[in-house]
Amino acid sequence: MEGSSSQPSDSNQTASGAFKFLQNLPSRGLLSSTFLSSNPGGMRVYVCVRDTSPPEDQHIQTNQQNILIRSLTLKKQKGESSSKDVKGAGAAEGSRKRVAERVLESRTSAKRAASQSSSRQEGSGSSQASSRDFQGLTVERLRALLKAKGLSLKGKKDELIARLKSSS
Amino acid sequence: MSVWNYVVTAHKPTNVTNSCVGNFTGPQELNLIIAKCTRIEILLLTPLGLQPILDVPIYGRIATLQLFRPHGEAQDFLFIATERYKFCVLQWDAETSELITRAMGDVSDRIGRPTDNGQIGIIDPDCRLIGLHLYDGLFKVIPFDNKGQLKEAFNIRLEELQVLDIQFLYGCSKPTIVVLYQDNKDARHVKTYEVALKDKDFVEGPWAQNNLDNGADLLIPVPPPLCGVLIIGEETIVYCSANAFKAIPIRPSITRAYGRVDADGSRYLLGDHAGLLHLLVITHEKEKVTGLKIELLGETSIASTISYLDNAFVYIGSSYGDSQLVKLNLQPDAKGSYVEVLERYVNLGPIVDFCVVDLERQGQGQVVTCSGAYKDGSLRVVRNGIGINEQASVELQGIKGMWSLRSSTDDPHDTFLVVSFISETRILAMNLEDELEETEIEGFCSQVQTLFCHDAVFNQLVQVTSSSVRLVSSTSRELKNEWFAPAGYSINVATANATQVLLATGGKHLVYLEIGDGVLTQKTHAQLDFEISCLDINPIGENPNYSQLAAVGMWTDISVQIYSLPDLSRITKEHLGGEIIPRSVLLCAFEGISYLLCALGDGHLLNFILNTSTGELTDRKKVSLGTQPITLRTFSSKSTTHVFAASDRPTVIYSSNKKLLYSNVNLKEVSHMCPFNSAAFPDSLAIAKEGELTIGTIDDIQKLHIRSIPLGEHARRICHQEQSRTFAISSVKYNQSSAEDSETHFIRLLDDQSFDLITYYQLDAFEYGCSILSCSFSDDSNVYYCVGTAYVLPEENEPTKGRILVFTVEDGKLQLVAEKETKGAVYSLNAFNGKLLAAINQKIQIYKWTLRDDGTRELQSECGHHGHILALYVQTRGDFIVVGDLMKSISLLIYKHEESSIEERARDYNANWMSAVEILDDDVYLGAENFFNLFSVRKNSEGATDEERGRLEVVGEYHLGEFVNRFRHGSLVMRLPDSDVGQIPTVIFGTVNGVIGVIASLPQEQYVFLEKLQSNLRKVIKGVGGLSHEQWRSFNNEKKTVDAKNFLDGDLIESFLDLSRSKMDEISKQMRVSVEELCKRVEELTRLH
Repeated sequence: MEGSSSQPSDSNQTASGAFKFLQNLPSRGLLSSTFLSSNPGGMRVYVCVRDTSPPEDQHIQTNQQNILIRSLTLKKQKGESSSKDVKGAGAAEGSRKRVAERVLESRTSAKRAASQSSSRQEGSGSSQASSRDFQGLTVERLRALLKAKGLSLKGKKDELIARLKSSS
Repeated sequence: MSVWNYVVTAHKPTNVTNSCVGNFTGPQELNLIIAKCTRIEILLLTPLGLQPILDVPIYGRIATLQLFRPHGEAQDFLFIATERYKFCVLQWDAETSELITRAMGDVSDRIGRPTDNGQIGIIDPDCRLIGLHLYDGLFKVIPFDNKGQLKEAFNIRLEELQVLDIQFLYGCSKPTIVVLYQDNKDARHVKTYEVALKDKDFVEGPWAQNNLDNGADLLIPVPPPLCGVLIIGEETIVYCSANAFKAIPIRPSITRAYGRVDADGSRYLLGDHAGLLHLLVITHEKEKVTGLKIELLGETSIASTISYLDNAFVYIGSSYGDSQLVKLNLQPDAKGSYVEVLERYVNLGPIVDFCVVDLERQGQGQVVTCSGAYKDGSLRVVRNGIGINEQASVELQGIKGMWSLRSSTDDPHDTFLVVSFISETRILAMNLEDELEETEIEGFCSQVQTLFCHDAVFNQLVQVTSSSVRLVSSTSRELKNEWFAPAGYSINVATANATQVLLATGGKHLVYLEIGDGVLTQKTHAQLDFEISCLDINPIGENPNYSQLAAVGMWTDISVQIYSLPDLSRITKEHLGGEIIPRSVLLCAFEGISYLLCALGDGHLLNFILNTSTGELTDRKKVSLGTQPITLRTFSSKSTTHVFAASDRPTVIYSSNKKLLYSNVNLKEVSHMCPFNSAAFPDSLAIAKEGELTIGTIDDIQKLHIRSIPLGEHARRICHQEQSRTFAISSVKYNQSSAEDSETHFIRLLDDQSFDLITYYQLDAFEYGCSILSCSFSDDSNVYYCVGTAYVLPEENEPTKGRILVFTVEDGKLQLVAEKETKGAVYSLNAFNGKLLAAINQKIQIYKWTLRDDGTRELQSECGHHGHILALYVQTRGDFIVVGDLMKSISLLIYKHEESSIEERARDYNANWMSAVEILDDDVYLGAENFFNLFSVRKNSEGATDEERGRLEVVGEYHLGEFVNRFRHGSLVMRLPDSDVGQIPTVIFGTVNGVIGVIASLPQEQYVFLEKLQSNLRKVIKGVGGLSHEQWRSFNNEKKTVDAKNFLDGDLIESFLDLSRSKMDEISKQMRVSVEELCKRVEELTRLH
């Protein structure tokens, strides 16, 4: 092969280089004998007669849930936890995504969905996190919060929210 | 042949696909683990070299192999994923030296497109999860909990559809993968993702790098402290991390494999497609990468995996050539190479084609394969059995016995060869010119037949004749003492060792003598119940000159008995059963186990394990070695003791892993054998056969012998021509020197004995040799080589032009006598009723060999048949033509002489992508397909309707797990016409992984019996890693998975012989057949290959 004729010249150029880099190759003292004996021919063939089934809980299967549905339920769980926790950080979620979640979720009441969509319309102007949090709550809940703070329970939902915000 | 087939491996896979190094068998033990497709080999690194530990069959084709260390474990676990979407985690149990399954599972998905670029299985360096890329667009995660247990797996959507490689990054607080992928404009990029285990999703990773080398297809993760990743391209190598980017240009090459040298990841070995080994160095100042350096080290086999072992030793695993153990030297050799190849491990893969020949004309087939690829291409001659390399021979008729003797007790070499005839004894000796000449030992009686001879202590020799025992000095050669048989009794059989003589005379007498300095003393005498047929007192105890046991074979009651010496009291009696008397008994020890071998007059051999202290005989086994009486003798080769069984089918009995193995000797009929270790012929054997005395050395004691003939180019087709005693091969030579890689195709002619190149014929540019055939035509006595070719032009999808070339071999030259252009690639050529049958693209065509007016010959098209996608494989039988199509399975055509036309008779309507076909018998055809399956179809000539008759019925299905490239009728073993096994027809196959296998068609009764045995064995022999044998052997392709039928797994059945006695008993109880009978029937099958 012509290729081989060009090799030596190449390696001659790099001879010193390779020498430098081949120093101190890792060694733990194995394969150190000057006379190496190995005989891979006579290897014992494994005939397994012991039980090879894995421990009971280590029989691994794949979660069969559709990836899309899984991600939606995961996000919903997050969403729910944030909506229960008034001060939660669920705000980071885009409101549009949430709508999609709610629509998918069969348990969601029409009422909640309605309040959600209305809140999106109304809340579109305000980008404040707390405001959006309050928008997600029902009037009864807002009233309960106002009562806890000893404020007036009268007025429309927006007024209730404004009162709560000014107090906090 | 029949539909009941038995598939067995004669040569195991040798193609090394993966390897890794770690502490698997113990916290302090360093292991090399090698994957050979369906097997794993575990080796231990010792100061003396690589020590083999275990060869593990896996019920699956191994896709990935990784060692990893879960938290809190002292040693590594082995993770294996198979191509059929199973995985397992194995742990070594040091106490029992067995493998424990820590976890296993099925990672297949119901929907998903399997990846084109191979399955990827990776393990997070901090052991938080296992990542798998099995289907395009999905990344499967198997998380670990904090105790190192695996949890339920889940998929994550991966936006990149054309993934080339995925690796985990080191030193990341969250598990992070780096993905090398190709976009829809064929540009290549890398991207990183963090795996959010809680959210089961990806989070955009810390960095990405766009527009890499167009040939980038390998990622190497760099361990701490440097971290980051190396991206290996065809023209550049890039180091990439969150805060560094370094690149160097390299000589254009495709890197196939890498091996990390240092634990800190600063040096790597890279192996490219041309087999060049480079060292890649990351230069750094503390933790800051300053650059990359690459150095050429030298040449190895084309590597598919590289593992740095220790102390500058590197294991190079190869798919295209022999795997190697190499050493990296500090100083280059004369050729400028730093690589020194210390050991080569034979690899037959890929077997692209092979032929079965009988070069020595002994009635025993040899397989000559086209093995290897590119520069590592070679021919391999694979032969079963042990060869005798003849060194001297003399014609001598009527030899009745042979013994070798030394001239003094301390002489390491044998001097005399005593040859006994019916009425005389001759003594041969080596003279000063190292020639064998007749001599005399004065003290020996040479006018009668000798019954036995042996060296004795005190520089003495013993000769036993029918009337006396003579003790002769080996120095003065004079008679020192003689013991006479009592008047009226003649000695019938005798045996002796250095200090003892045991003989039997007529009248059922057994006499025991001891040898002293110049004296023979009769110690004991016993009268037995019956006449004695054979005797042995070979010392197997601690004293090599004295035996405490004697084995005696009896007439009349057909038994073998053990007597104690010197008192001649009977310890054991074992009835042999049947009516055939024992003809030779032998006490011997292999690997520390003592055996009693007992050979019968009908060629059967019984073996027992002998308890030397109690004399008890256990574990009786029976095998059939031949059909004639057997004579047993021990001999040593390479300082190990073996037994030679001389008969019509000479056999060497040896022991491996404490199991007795039988290997044929490639000689036709041997009546007597004795070791003859003379100074001129060290380690030789004297063999009496067919009126001839031969002295020769013996091959290594192993079953298959492989001879390599390196070609330096890739052989693709091979064919043997008996008349010219040549092989013709079609080969490709790749020239990598020029800027453009070019290839040249040749037809080469080789001598069938020496394998020397006689001549060659170079094909045109772009012309590929596709098929080759040796044949003769009607009305022409000459024999021709026919070669089918194709012009493979870069702009064409399918070749539209080819040639058929007809050559004769004259005076060592290939003479082109005729040439015929074809409209496509000539994929197959067959001799057919004195004509030539060619498969040309989608067409089957018959050519006549006609004489022109000017006396020259030409090929003339006679008729053809369309109707295939690509007719790739063709076999014929009579007027029938069986075609294996690219994607439409098997079809059956018939040639009609009257109409001179070809018609389709029947076809298999399954969509199998074929890789080989063969005709088993008139009605049953065998096929191998793309998804590693075998199947058989049957012609349904009795069908009621045309529709039924036109359908080939699928009768057998089986997952072989190997890609078969060729079937050929033939056998690797010598066939004895009157043995059971001799009647079983066989087909040999060769595969990409270097497997040579045998498919044997069994009678139905035997098939049913073995099928029952197989199902019982499945319950006893478990799949490593919990993988199921039934699932593994089920026919499986894209469309369907069905249980195997009408094929038996011979590898599983033959592992019966490796079972412990208690497990054998268990199976024997289930089968209601005795262990002895089971052993005998399985042993018989092992003689098929």
